[in-house]
Amino acid sequence: MTQTVDPKLLEILVCPLTHALLRYDVARQELISDQAGLAYPVRDGIPIMLPDEARALEDHEVKK
Amino acid sequence: MKQNLNPESEWFGTRHVKAEEKASLVRDVFDSVADSYDVMNDAMSMGIHRLWKDRLIRMIRPRGGLNYLDVAGGTGDIAFRIRKAAGPDAQIAICDINPEMLRVGRNRAANKGWLNDFEWVTGDAEKLPVPDNSVDVYTIAFGLRNVTRIDNALADAYRVLKPGGRFFCLEFSRVEDPGLRAVYDRYSELFIPRMGQLIARDRDSYQYLIESIRKFPNQRDLARRMGIVGFRGVRFSNLSFGIAAIHQGYKA
Repeated sequence: MTQTVDPKLLEILVCPLTHALLRYDVARQELISDQAGLAYPVRDGIPIMLPDEARALEDHEVKK
Repeated sequence: MKQNLNPESEWFGTRHVKAEEKASLVRDVFDSVADSYDVMNDAMSMGIHRLWKDRLIRMIRPRGGLNYLDVAGGTGDIAFRIRKAAGPDAQIAICDINPEMLRVGRNRAANKGWLNDFEWVTGDAEKLPVPDNSVDVYTIAFGLRNVTRIDNALADAYRVLKPGGRFFCLEFSRVEDPGLRAVYDRYSELFIPRMGQLIARDRDSYQYLIESIRKFPNQRDLARRMGIVGFRGVRFSNLSFGIAAIHQGYKA
């Protein structure tokens, strides 16, 4: 099964909380919402866009 | 007049629960039924669910060049039918709160040779990870009754649709005729949990499914609630004497 996110998904997905666009962190396999300060995991190529499952970003990780 | 929104959020079948609990209870049900979901649907509806889904597709009349979002459709039944009808030039995303259901769907797609034909996303119908005004056709088949706050899901469906975009919901509904309803209730109480036990070794999850059908709003109530969030042209079609119904509406 594919391990990485389909680039098309990046065009159609947004943060469920802020509706802002996401940044894809390939190394960590996370979709980052700077506005919400959350990193959503990607497991097995499937983005898990649930705030409950997201990791809170450390201050230094947030890109303004 | 005070509006009592999302009254179902406190009910998990016939158990009274906190709204926050309901989502994870539902997730547990679908984690445990994911693998046998398709077999169970066949057993529970004697294969008729396929006819209902075919009817849904005929009502949608999918065509190419459009953006489709199928919500709570993890195993792919609706999305695959849309793909067949619309052809290769349609963008179809499948959003389900349960990654197990999506995995089943993705494997089924792979077996049909559809490797990159769908976008698979784990997400919540009440808080879709989808921008406003971006979807042409929104479908939700046998998923709305499992959502914790139905009115929130209806509102989010409205949000993501483009102006002119259409909403379709296929769901179990209310058999109006009292005689038929008695027969149907008897059948579901007697047979379905037992079949759940036999096929999926999970009587409780199927018990939940029956009870969630009972608690779901009837045809007119659901239509009214669709109107409240803004849908126009709201109407419903009964299937199999109201055992299921398809509701539709559009965003003006």
